[in-house]
Amino acid sequence: MATDKIEYNYSRRSSRWKLILALLIVALVVTIIISLNIGYANISLSEILDILGKQIPFLSGSINSASISPINEAIIFQIRLPRVLAGALVGAGLAAAGVIYQGIFRNPMADSYVLGASAGASVGYTVAVLYVTSALTLIGLGTAQIFAFIFAVLTVFVVYFISRVGNKVPISTLLLSGIVVNIFLLSIETLMELRSGQALSGIVAWLAGGFSNIVWEDVWGILPFVLIGIALTYFFTRDLNMLSMGDETAQHLGVNTEGVRRILLVIGSLITAACVCISGVIGFVGLIIPHMTRLVIGPDHRILLPASAIVGAIFLVLCDAVARIATGASELPVGVITALVGTPFFIYLLRRRKTSYSL
Amino acid sequence: MVLLNVNGVECRYGSIKILENVSLSVKEGDFVGIIGPNGSGKTTLLKSISRTLKPHLGTILLDDKDIYSLKSVDVAKQMAVVPQDNTISFSFTALEVVLMGRSPHLSRFQMETESDMAIARKAMDLTNTWQLAARPVNELSGGERQRVIIARALAQKPKILLLDEPLTYLDIVNQLEIMDLVKSLCVKEGIIVMTAIHDLNLAARYCSTAILLKNGKIFSAGRIDEVLTSENIKSVFKVDAIVKKNLVTNSLYVIPLSPPKSSPIKNCAIHLICGAGTGTALMKILLEEGYSVTTGVLNVLDTDFETAELLNIPVTSEAPFSPITEKTRKANLAMINKASTVVVTSVPFGHGNLQNLEAAKEALKKGIPLFVIDEVPIESRDFTQGQATALFGDLKNMGAVFVKNQDELLHMLNVSEEKLKMAKNVPPSIVDHLKARGAS
Repeated sequence: MATDKIEYNYSRRSSRWKLILALLIVALVVTIIISLNIGYANISLSEILDILGKQIPFLSGSINSASISPINEAIIFQIRLPRVLAGALVGAGLAAAGVIYQGIFRNPMADSYVLGASAGASVGYTVAVLYVTSALTLIGLGTAQIFAFIFAVLTVFVVYFISRVGNKVPISTLLLSGIVVNIFLLSIETLMELRSGQALSGIVAWLAGGFSNIVWEDVWGILPFVLIGIALTYFFTRDLNMLSMGDETAQHLGVNTEGVRRILLVIGSLITAACVCISGVIGFVGLIIPHMTRLVIGPDHRILLPASAIVGAIFLVLCDAVARIATGASELPVGVITALVGTPFFIYLLRRRKTSYSL
Repeated sequence: MVLLNVNGVECRYGSIKILENVSLSVKEGDFVGIIGPNGSGKTTLLKSISRTLKPHLGTILLDDKDIYSLKSVDVAKQMAVVPQDNTISFSFTALEVVLMGRSPHLSRFQMETESDMAIARKAMDLTNTWQLAARPVNELSGGERQRVIIARALAQKPKILLLDEPLTYLDIVNQLEIMDLVKSLCVKEGIIVMTAIHDLNLAARYCSTAILLKNGKIFSAGRIDEVLTSENIKSVFKVDAIVKKNLVTNSLYVIPLSPPKSSPIKNCAIHLICGAGTGTALMKILLEEGYSVTTGVLNVLDTDFETAELLNIPVTSEAPFSPITEKTRKANLAMINKASTVVVTSVPFGHGNLQNLEAAKEALKKGIPLFVIDEVPIESRDFTQGQATALFGDLKNMGAVFVKNQDELLHMLNVSEEKLKMAKNVPPSIVDHLKARGAS
């Protein structure tokens, strides 16, 4: 009977989720390996596999080290691999932040970029680079990172409190206050650039978004924030499900809505800031990835969060590969690629929101 | 024993008091209807009880514990809410939505177990939503979605169920099914049910007690039959209503009458000769049109008599099921003498009320215009072996105006004197009379 089948499928849900995640991880690994193959120097796929295999303890014995050129090994290991891994981590982080923001604001248009978290983080980063001379370190974080965190969290809370009407955050005011705060931060950024002159040329390039100067330290710097951030968020995925039903409903189902929202705002902003610190402002990943993923696997955050993170990683690794080869020798900032893909998608969402979402 | 106590609650939006000094006590097995006009504070009261809107003054105690000092998850284990607005943005399936009702009973990392699944399944069977289980909830109709939301509330296994206008989106079958379901939960499992409800008849049928709110204050509270009286409805809703016992459902039923129109008062008194309900609608319309109305003779317990009482129309009455006595006949004639027009409705005539037709004849003799609504042929409603039919013939000959129905009567009453003159079968005496009455 059809109805019994529903129950059967539902009880098999968690194994279905595991299968989805396994498939996505395989897809991510394949994407990473293919992406390592792309670049100025022509290195064959089999050589790349040998280079990677050499690093894996149990496989290293069966690898013929003689076939590996030391130059190629350096290119793969010191240049391409950190860059690709950083792309994957930033993609995962931005997508996860998008899932968080969309869930807590019940707004399919929210992400780090729209809410101003990215802009806040970049202003914080710039302030630190230009004006903070004494080098702070806090639990292994640099001055720039700390400032990016603080500014990202502050910006999101400012946007949140501006747009809050009574107990609710209407979607229109959230988007509007996000835009206003974004423009304000952009002006501050421009002002700082003009005042500083030469010192900021590197920052301008960084701001456009990209992975061209990534080293292993950047990867180790972002890794804990993205992984721990996603892991912490996973504690709240059922709350996110209920929050997406509406604040009052979530309360009636026992969610401490205000507490959960604040915790998740901080986590989302921390992930965003960590991403911005190594790759600048990359828009639209957090917007389109959770959306596409939701369309395919449904809105349950217990699968949506990890699946979106992996899809985001795949997406950004691919975008970065395109950025490297699109214009020959001089490469495009990856933020340009994501914006080119993301803008039409954003317009599409705006056009069809009336039927799908009660904005 | 679950007890809910609301003590002196006051809620404000800005400086406007929405609720003022509301106190009530509800115990296990109570089915409480919260009734009152729009803006009387029904939803606000439910919100303050459901821990959504903290009152500025007063406390809400659940088993002697202040609900605002409890954790929301602990409240959610005992209290479920079906809100007024049930729009859902994300495309969760109906089953996923219902399973969310199990959430307060699960720890943070726990997945739903078989028993949670069984509880959700039962809730969906009860609300007739299991066939919708795999459908995205944002693609369901309003009524289907409402039943899914009620299933979610049931899956919470609450001791208190709060509903805010739960029937808004439902058709009549679903309304009755949902109310039957909630009522049976209330009776069998002792769940406290509190519902804001607009439909007074459904309230009367299902609620054991009621709270009638007016401008944020409790106007009346108690057993449903104590609260739902025509006096209370009149004072709170500003609507005349007839409240009676329905012998089929053994519950009260309320017939609201439309709120009085404010037509300019006409200087014209109409005496109605009616009975058996033939004058009920006309009485109300004539009053609304600004006429002053009297009626008689009517037997006590006659529908028209009850209407006249309700509308405060002077009525000459006779004991139930009794023929008209000489004394009442005279009283009625005295009433007719004061009228400027007499109207006879399509009432059946028997020996008991034949006197009323004689009275109409008297009116004509005195020169008072007489209108006869001849909707049903007199032969078919003459139970006096032809006496009434004969009298009808007399009335016609003496110049009574026969109209086909109520609308035509109103038209004839309204037409100007000039038009009355032009009408063929209206004797000039009537026009003169109308003129004389109108001038005085």
